[in-house]
Amino acid sequence: MAEARFLIRKSYSEKSLTKTYATACALLASAIVIIILSVLLSQSGSAILDSGPSLLGTEWNPARNLYGILPMLYGSIIVMMIAMTLALPIGILSALYISETLSEKRRRVAKTALEILTGIPSIVYGLIGVSVLSLWVADIFGLQTGRIILTAGLLLAVMILPTIISLSEDAISNVSTQYRENAYALGLYRYEVIKDVILPQAKGDVIGAGFLALGRALGETMAVMLVIGSLDRIPSPAYNILASGQTITSKLGREVAESAFGSTHFNVLVLMSLILVVLTLSMTLMAHLIFRTTDAHA
Amino acid sequence: MLSRHALDKSLTGLIRVAFYISMALLLGLIFAISFRGISAISLNFLFLPARDFGASGGIFYQIFGSVLMVTIAAVLTLPIALGTAIYSSEYMRSNRKKRVLELTLLSLNGIPSITYGIFGLILFVNVLGTGISWLVGSVILAIMMLPTVTLSTVQSMRSLPVTFRENGFALGFSRAEVIRFIVVPQGLQGLVTGLLLGLARAIGETAPIMFIATAFSGVTVPVSVVEPVSTLPTHILALAQQATNPAALKNAWGASFVLLSIVFLLSLSAFYARTRLKNLNQRL
Repeated sequence: MAEARFLIRKSYSEKSLTKTYATACALLASAIVIIILSVLLSQSGSAILDSGPSLLGTEWNPARNLYGILPMLYGSIIVMMIAMTLALPIGILSALYISETLSEKRRRVAKTALEILTGIPSIVYGLIGVSVLSLWVADIFGLQTGRIILTAGLLLAVMILPTIISLSEDAISNVSTQYRENAYALGLYRYEVIKDVILPQAKGDVIGAGFLALGRALGETMAVMLVIGSLDRIPSPAYNILASGQTITSKLGREVAESAFGSTHFNVLVLMSLILVVLTLSMTLMAHLIFRTTDAHA
Repeated sequence: MLSRHALDKSLTGLIRVAFYISMALLLGLIFAISFRGISAISLNFLFLPARDFGASGGIFYQIFGSVLMVTIAAVLTLPIALGTAIYSSEYMRSNRKKRVLELTLLSLNGIPSITYGIFGLILFVNVLGTGISWLVGSVILAIMMLPTVTLSTVQSMRSLPVTFRENGFALGFSRAEVIRFIVVPQGLQGLVTGLLLGLARAIGETAPIMFIATAFSGVTVPVSVVEPVSTLPTHILALAQQATNPAALKNAWGASFVLLSIVFLLSLSAFYARTRLKNLNQRL
């Protein structure tokens, strides 16, 4: 009898221990995002108070207390656009090839290879950019330096390519075989099957994949920082992608270590980082919410 | 007007060409790194410390620093990932709450790596006053690994057939015992896979650690936790910035090749663990 009571008590306390441990971990894990955002927010609030309207200017000059972040914002967006314009079509078409023409075995090999390629560290891309790609670009366009916006965009396009192929391939091969078989049985050609049956079904998830890639492209630092030339101004004319520029991330990578903690300079950099997080988080969340809705349809 | 047949041929050709372009780009990349990297590698390069700001000597302490930092990061992230996964798969009833937790973790994954560096710089290095410390770097990398490890563990716990749990309860197990003897062993496959993937990502990260945990030259084995170490990615960064010096550049390629080999080895082990452990579980 005493032993039984002991057993009951033991299992009771063990149960609550496991539950307490699991609950504490889950709370900690979910709190981290909030902690990160509040730390950034607490540090960047004073940046707005100190430099107010000059933040929306185009001139960055800490010595004169001018902290215009527009050139960086512009740089981030243009680099991302170049990368997406190149990588998205090639990526989706490649995904179609892998999903619609390769045998199951080869498909799996290609997928594994892509997943591994996704893991190439960005600093390695940076090295390639700085010592190979930027020299090529300078040669081709006859420029003095190849460290320009276009180079950053090209490098970023290659970087996000494996992600785009891999995710859109998932989306495309998730379309039920039944639809494919029915369409082929109706005598449709492959391009008709792709255009009229597969793409409409996979559309949502492919768009989700695009948003994820967008988020990644915006947040990429090392590779972009090494090849963009780090010039804090919007090129003139603005579409001149053969000029050097600066993105939010390259600015942060270059200057955070140089600015004194607590100075306006530092706080403005933190504010830029906060803007970056808000942008990438919205892309990421949008992507996953899109994935979710298409799941519900399936 | 093209016939359907001609349209089919040309569009099939188009996707084929796109695929070949992607393959050529990506394989060319691997080939370029290997070609330049292997010629820079020797036993001396792997086992000697760096000299002349990395232009000569080797990368022994960089390899050591990288491995140390990510190993401790994995040790830190493991218990929290396991606990969170248990909570999500065993204690959360509502699917909506599960979804919220999942989205929170995915958001963590979506935060740019440079932001983690700035966060660590503010909170640890300055507010908590740790100074430049490799342990802070490990903590930050642990946070970055957390979503991958947790979600992968949750996924494999979720794939556990209901009958396994029911059998456990029928044998008189308490919930804690079901978790300990049935759910956790099942989750191990996901945990190992996630950890390997997380390690592969963490060891290649530069931006999160460059302000808070590393120093470029003159660093050997740290004697305390509040000292910097030198790592492969930050070493490559420093060398890449002296891109006009051929000796430094050569060593940068060598270090990149070593880093890439470690990353690929870790991701390959992750895939191996995923299939191997899954088969093992299915046989049980």
